Amino acid sequence: MNDTVALSPADMIARARARVPRAIDIPLRERLQPWAIATATFALFIACCIDLDLGPDVLANGIGKLGGILAAMWPPSAGGQWSRLLLAIAQTLGLAVLGTLLGILGALPLGLMGARNLVSNAAIHFIVRRMMDVFRGIPALVWALILVAACGLGPLPGVLALAFADIPRLGKLFAEAIESVDRRQRESLQATGASGSLVIRFGMLPQVLPVCLSQCLYYLEQNFRAAAVVGVVGAGGIGFELNERIRIFAFDEVALITILYIVIVGLLDEVSQRLRARLI
Amino acid sequence: MSVSALFDAEDRRRAAVFEQDWRKRRLAHRLQNLGWLLLVSALLAVSLELSELRNSSVGLGWGERVATFVDRMTPHLRADALFASRNTDGSLASWFYDLPLWLVAIRETVAMAIVGTLVGGVFALSLSFLAASNLNANRPLRVLIRRSLDAARTIPDVILALIFASAFSLGPVAGVLTLIVSTTGSLGKLFSECMENARIREVEAIAATGGNWLLQMRFGVIPQLLPQLVSYWLLRLELNLSAAAALGIVGAGGIGVELQRAISFTEFDTYLAILLLIIACITVIDLVSERLRHRLIGAMA
Repeated sequence: MNDTVALSPADMIARARARVPRAIDIPLRERLQPWAIATATFALFIACCIDLDLGPDVLANGIGKLGGILAAMWPPSAGGQWSRLLLAIAQTLGLAVLGTLLGILGALPLGLMGARNLVSNAAIHFIVRRMMDVFRGIPALVWALILVAACGLGPLPGVLALAFADIPRLGKLFAEAIESVDRRQRESLQATGASGSLVIRFGMLPQVLPVCLSQCLYYLEQNFRAAAVVGVVGAGGIGFELNERIRIFAFDEVALITILYIVIVGLLDEVSQRLRARLI
Repeated sequence: MSVSALFDAEDRRRAAVFEQDWRKRRLAHRLQNLGWLLLVSALLAVSLELSELRNSSVGLGWGERVATFVDRMTPHLRADALFASRNTDGSLASWFYDLPLWLVAIRETVAMAIVGTLVGGVFALSLSFLAASNLNANRPLRVLIRRSLDAARTIPDVILALIFASAFSLGPVAGVLTLIVSTTGSLGKLFSECMENARIREVEAIAATGGNWLLQMRFGVIPQLLPQLVSYWLLRLELNLSAAAALGIVGAGGIGVELQRAISFTEFDTYLAILLLIIACITVIDLVSERLRHRLIGAMA
């Protein structure tokens, strides 16, 4: 106690500085860094806005019209076409199911080839992984546009577009699921003298299947959204109906379809979450 | 002496009970699997029926159709004229004939993604404090904000873009607004989940020194979550870039407009050229953001 009293304030400060140097002396560069990042981000933001002609007058102008549209949405109305709308929603669901299934079928071989612990050839593994990374970024709508041009209007390009968009994403997830398998279970089966297919069936499948199934369910959910989107460019279903009504400014019907859609997505979400919780 | 003589009757009885139980379990398991299989098959059949996939005819035979299509999509490059000028058939420059225009359109798409992600991120951050159950005790307000975020996330972005386009006319502004709404929805959910995992002791420490709610959030919550939040934000930027490219297809500005134009003039090789440009752009952003994210995660550890 005595020596703390004997210390001069300057000494105390010096001691404190020595003990926690970063509490007081943060170099100027480090203190300026957050501000520099913030300024740069803000400058980038302004530059982008100028590039896009996004000014307050444009926004003010549009918001008035948007208010009119929102007002026109009330009260929502089915326009006397309940059965047609429900059928369109069911069609969209069908599109999502088929697209997901086709995507899973396409992703399985890629996932197997992309897994490092199954394919020892580094070149194959590398190429498959890179290809999947490259194609992962292409949204279903971009696929749908070209496929509609290739095979005509209808559900076929929609299903194919959903599958093409899913294959690289699911393939990557499958490969990662297979790579994260605990190898001890495989080894113990190999030690009992089981054949290759038995090792896969009992040593890997039980570990991989729940993870993959839960991801497939998640993609089914996502594809319900994507199926509505590809409908806009001519793959039928609810997207087509919505697009049609937006173009003729029938916003009360748009509101009804949107509400219906949100409710159904919510239900799907709930079901798939329950199933996924059971799987894992 | 036979092997069975080694076991007495009691052992055999136990074995029989075990066998019986095992068979019963196996049967139940198999029935359950069969049930799932039937359910999935039924779902599949209904989907096939509803989507009218069976009725879609492909005109020519499949093989022929695919062959013509692939032929029209691949550019007819000639080795001797590969680097010739734009006006020579078979040169790279004639394949990418509108490159300067496309680059401007790509810049527009990138700008859309940046503005959408920035503004959406700011909205999401402000709302996520109110949507996190440990930071906002007002339950009705919390539920209201959460439901709104859910709705913003659920409505497909293309539909939003069409609605915004009817108010703000076709162009990038409609695309940016769409991205803002969908980013607010998805990042708001992720951010609020992050905040629910935040340590509350820091917040309490700030409260004990007399800091108000804003200061508690600024100095108690943000510093511990910043790397995570920024990494989610960067991930969203990547996703928004491809979303922005797609939004152009319905007229919301950027490179998608050029894609749509290529299709309406049935220039399938041009479509491929633009697609390659988009892929290149996404890959670059991907790599940069992956670097940044790894650095951030390193900083967090």
